[in-house]
Amino acid sequence: MTHTVLITGATGMLGQALVPLFARRDDVEAIFALTHACEYSDSSCKVTPVRGDVISGPALGITPESMREILDRTSVIVHAAANTRFSASLNEARSVNLEGTKNVLAFASRCPRLKAFVALSTVHVAGKRTGIIYEEELDHTSGFVNSYEQSKYEAELLLRESMSALPISVLRLSTVLGSSTTGEVGQMAAIHHALRLYYNSLAPMIPGEPESLVDLIATEYAATAVEHFAVGHFHAGRTFHICGGENALTLARLLELTREAFLCYRPSWRKRAIEMPAIVDLPTFELFARSAEEVGDNILRNSVAIIKHFVPQLAYPKIFSDVECTCSLQAKGLPNPSVQEFYPQVVRWLVESEWGEIGTLAGGAGV
Amino acid sequence: MARAPDSGQANSLVPVGISAIQYVLGSDEISLEELEARGMLDSPAATLSEFGFSSARLSRESSYTLAAAATSKLLGATGVDRTSIDALFYAGATPSCHAVVTSDPRSAFNYPVAQLQYELELTRATAFGVSQLGCLGLMASVMLARDFLLSNENASRALCVSADVLPAGCKREMMYNVISDGACAVLLEKKCGRNRILAYRQITKGYYWDAIARKNEITAAYFPTARNIVRDALADAGLDSSDISCILPHNVSLRSWEILLGLIQIGREKLFAENIAKMAHVIAADNWINLQAATETGKLCHGDKLLLFTFGFGANWACMVLEH
Repeated sequence: MTHTVLITGATGMLGQALVPLFARRDDVEAIFALTHACEYSDSSCKVTPVRGDVISGPALGITPESMREILDRTSVIVHAAANTRFSASLNEARSVNLEGTKNVLAFASRCPRLKAFVALSTVHVAGKRTGIIYEEELDHTSGFVNSYEQSKYEAELLLRESMSALPISVLRLSTVLGSSTTGEVGQMAAIHHALRLYYNSLAPMIPGEPESLVDLIATEYAATAVEHFAVGHFHAGRTFHICGGENALTLARLLELTREAFLCYRPSWRKRAIEMPAIVDLPTFELFARSAEEVGDNILRNSVAIIKHFVPQLAYPKIFSDVECTCSLQAKGLPNPSVQEFYPQVVRWLVESEWGEIGTLAGGAGV
Repeated sequence: MARAPDSGQANSLVPVGISAIQYVLGSDEISLEELEARGMLDSPAATLSEFGFSSARLSRESSYTLAAAATSKLLGATGVDRTSIDALFYAGATPSCHAVVTSDPRSAFNYPVAQLQYELELTRATAFGVSQLGCLGLMASVMLARDFLLSNENASRALCVSADVLPAGCKREMMYNVISDGACAVLLEKKCGRNRILAYRQITKGYYWDAIARKNEITAAYFPTARNIVRDALADAGLDSSDISCILPHNVSLRSWEILLGLIQIGREKLFAENIAKMAHVIAADNWINLQAATETGKLCHGDKLLLFTFGFGANWACMVLEH
């Protein structure tokens, strides 16, 4: 059986990695790469760039000339488009993450050959829950740290409602850090900006406990897992955690590794003698953040703004169970690379490229 | 982390304690609203009020005059023999505090510590100026005085004084803190069990030497560095945070203390914050003014473990642990 894949968010951090993986497969005959970006190019002849946007209604902004062909041919939809900006207002986040999902579902319902609808989500739909979070769980009333979490949770509720009508699987990813082989970061996210704040002595404290787990995954693993569950191992009605699970780093260890990597890859950083951010309780962090917002100048206010929308998640310690996911992936010989090993490589890439501002490293062509 | 010389066993056998403290403040008490009206604040008065300040003390006198007044007050109150003072340490945060300048450029060599030694007849006291430590000057002087006493067998008393007066019309807000003028004198005595020094830690981070350019970085570095130095000083004293009866702060904003208390896990009720509103931040003198004030109000009991923490531009963090 061959597949025609429609990917939304094709130019996003994960979308960029997914398109070439699908293009490489013999059983994928065509890929429609939906993107609102003005320019998009891919060397594979299988890939057809499609201008559109998930917030543009059920037609996804696709021109009528292209619409019929895409509807008729699409057998797999990978819905990767999202607003991942943690500081977005709830309305802004819902506009893409909830309404966008609603539009893609409506579009999917018009695809006669559709066999698989894979929705990318986040493990943080668990919001402020603590403890072990299992893959099949969703409903809770614990609240959320930011609008991204809440809007993705609401989107998952919608997806579950639609599972009776469409072949839907939800893949919840933890934080995609960067390439496990080159360290390259395709797109800067909040965690990368936070590391830069630490590097520049602008990160005084982080809420949480030293033993709070920080779940990070490599781009290759994330992309390979999505490919695996979208084509060949699709399970309608199921939810999987693509994450580090029990192998996630503790916050204390993460900070140690960061410091070690800064010292190793930028030895001159040592002379700054910058302290590691203190791990504090949430009220202390919130008091600092509020104070900086009240009186700090722009640099300090912006620094706080970068971290305040996501680091409070660490004050709600949890472990994401990924038993179902790893069983399926390991059976196929797809191991999850050790974050302990690839994390320093990502920090190296960030330091040496000055957070992507001065080009890439030799041999740094990642996914 | 830099650590002050450890006197080891000698310290426990020959305790050095702080036997007397006296201070004077600038004579003019100016409200936040008035400071704001005079253009002497960066932040709104209402914000600084929320941060725990209500007024500042401004001096019409020179820093030297305040230093002499505080020292005379201490000598008068204690009745101590002036010739028994073996060392005099004079601290000031700004260069102008360390010279009695006239129109002759060579007057830069006219040092107030020598003038003070002469005018107050501290004839046996060896004089030292302690500078470039910002608000840490007096605490560092106390530590240097302790080491002086321990390393000189025949020495028994040392006097430390700090004096700071900002230029007239100068902004009175620095990094969200309201600044006052004042001077404080501290007497250390060998074999004195009162306010015995149990531990001292000081750390300098030169990366932050440019306090204006690195204002934001200093604000961010302040808290984790403070947390670490408090932790290390407590460990040196063989104590943990629960052993501390009272924190004698430098009078920076109450808000920043509330944040720091969260980091060092000591309850708000242990912070002696009574002077922050009315006195504001008297540069290097705060911790010692607060020690004296807490003593006078009967808040402290014999044997209480006291924690003094301060930060000074430079950039220096320091923490001292005393046994009352």
